[in-house]
Amino acid sequence: MSGPAVVVEGLTKRFRVPRREAGLKAAFAALFRRDYTEVTAIRELSFAIEAGERVGFLGPNGAGKTTTLKILAGLLYPTAGTVRVSGYVPQTRHHGFLRSISLVMGQKRQLSWDLPAVDTFELNRVVFEIDTPTYKRRLGELVERLEIGEVMRQPVRTLSLGERMKCELAAALLHGPSILFLDEPTIGMDVAMQLSLREFIRTYNENHGATVILTSHYMEDVAALCPRIIVIDDGNLRFDGSIEALTRRIRPLRRVSVRAVDLPPSERLAQLGSVVDTGDGRLTLDVDPGRVPEVVSVLVQLPDCRDLEVSDAPLEEVMRELFSRSRADAGTASQPEGAA
Amino acid sequence: MRIIGAQLRISCLAALQYRVGFWSEGVLSLLWSLVGIVPLLVAVDHQGLVAGWGAWQLMVLSGWFLICSSIFGFFLEPSLIATMNHIRHGTLDYVLLRPADALLLCLVTDFAPWRATEFVLGVGLVCLSLWKIGHVPSLGEITTSFVVGASGVVALYAIGVLMLCISFRAIRLQNLAVLLESILNFGRWPVHVFQGVLKAIFMYAIPLAIMTTYPAQALLGTLEVATLLAAMGTALGLAVVARVGWRLSLRTYASASS
Repeated sequence: MSGPAVVVEGLTKRFRVPRREAGLKAAFAALFRRDYTEVTAIRELSFAIEAGERVGFLGPNGAGKTTTLKILAGLLYPTAGTVRVSGYVPQTRHHGFLRSISLVMGQKRQLSWDLPAVDTFELNRVVFEIDTPTYKRRLGELVERLEIGEVMRQPVRTLSLGERMKCELAAALLHGPSILFLDEPTIGMDVAMQLSLREFIRTYNENHGATVILTSHYMEDVAALCPRIIVIDDGNLRFDGSIEALTRRIRPLRRVSVRAVDLPPSERLAQLGSVVDTGDGRLTLDVDPGRVPEVVSVLVQLPDCRDLEVSDAPLEEVMRELFSRSRADAGTASQPEGAA
Repeated sequence: MRIIGAQLRISCLAALQYRVGFWSEGVLSLLWSLVGIVPLLVAVDHQGLVAGWGAWQLMVLSGWFLICSSIFGFFLEPSLIATMNHIRHGTLDYVLLRPADALLLCLVTDFAPWRATEFVLGVGLVCLSLWKIGHVPSLGEITTSFVVGASGVVALYAIGVLMLCISFRAIRLQNLAVLLESILNFGRWPVHVFQGVLKAIFMYAIPLAIMTTYPAQALLGTLEVATLLAAMGTALGLAVVARVGWRLSLRTYASASS
């Protein structure tokens, strides 16, 4: 395949959804006359993703992330705009396209609830027409990497969330997709399981050159996995680039923290930068990037100075600020003329 | 066929997963089939002509009804209910992501293997009734019966698909599958007993005539060629409408919230 793996131009998706007031009276009334409202989930979204990239989709709840993934996977039809994935228009459901992608959703399952996962693997082998030697090789590889040798033989309903998600991933990867859509794959998992899945996804991307498009509410997932992020809010594209570039734009100050026995007085600290925290013997400052060397040289001279760190602001804070700015901009724009 | 086979295997495995459920379903299915036949066998001694059909001719029809009901209960009804649930919960996503015809995948989503008992009883009842009548069907009559029966199955599936199409817009309609099963019970009687609108409905809209009456007539050697051709045309027409309806409905699939 030549060219980008994913090309999206002017993508718009609107849903018509029923609405009613609370209560029995409204429920009865809705039996005869139902009100509908049109919700715009995505507004003229455009981006391209190269083959082999790992891209994080970020945005608050209802931003349009999952809708975008479902359109890319061919499940939903766009209201306007064009989408091409692996060179195909997803909505045609060309078998070549369906063999080249996989969608894993943390809150839905494809595994048969009452049967061991290995039975669903076998079903996928037949449906995806995977020849037996390839199937055995891939399954062996996935079993080893995901450590599911035992759990895949137990009924799915008896598995923990993390074990089930590992089996879901195995089921999704048996046909060797070159594009992997992951929608909240680590939701509800403990930290150890999150780290394990994260590492697996990274390895899969590196070993197979697969394009990975990930949505997650856990910023650590995105920060650890995705060199590039696409931020959407209320269906609009807010940012497309690296986390560093986003941080520079939204929170350009560097975060400097240090532990010391005796911290300088607050007047002196205010001269160094903006104080974020001074609790528990730890000083955290937001510092202008040009002044970082100077501030560091002051801090290293503090008595019993240790654990000096210079970093960007956490991605959560950057995102919070980006979204609050977006809301403020939208609020200003939607103010009727003459309003205060 | 490989997809149907693989899905059938999964359904059998699911049925075998719970021992108590497996045996109780089997016993219930057998009892249900017998309960449907026994009153007919009792009534056969007291029944006169019904719309020109003698008692054992009606038994041939009942046999075909059991075969048709078995195909509905074994193959179509479980898949309809499963797919309607998939549409409601948004898990149709995973069905649509598989590289095969989406409609085929939906129509083989689930099976109820124990309903095969009705098929066996139906074939048995047809054979017993033909023996009682003293009619040995010719090869042509058997072939015609299969052809018109197959048309009936196509019509049955087409109606099922149209119900699925409705469920894309009205998402809590699992009762439609139960309603269809209830309507199928009219197929126990020859279509000739119905008059007016009801007869037209059972000949063209929900063509029970093609599913039970005509195959039985074919075996008894009383089906006219024109009726056979009309039956095939009706089934084909319904299949085309169902296919177009499916394609349009798929565009309205909204999935469910993540």
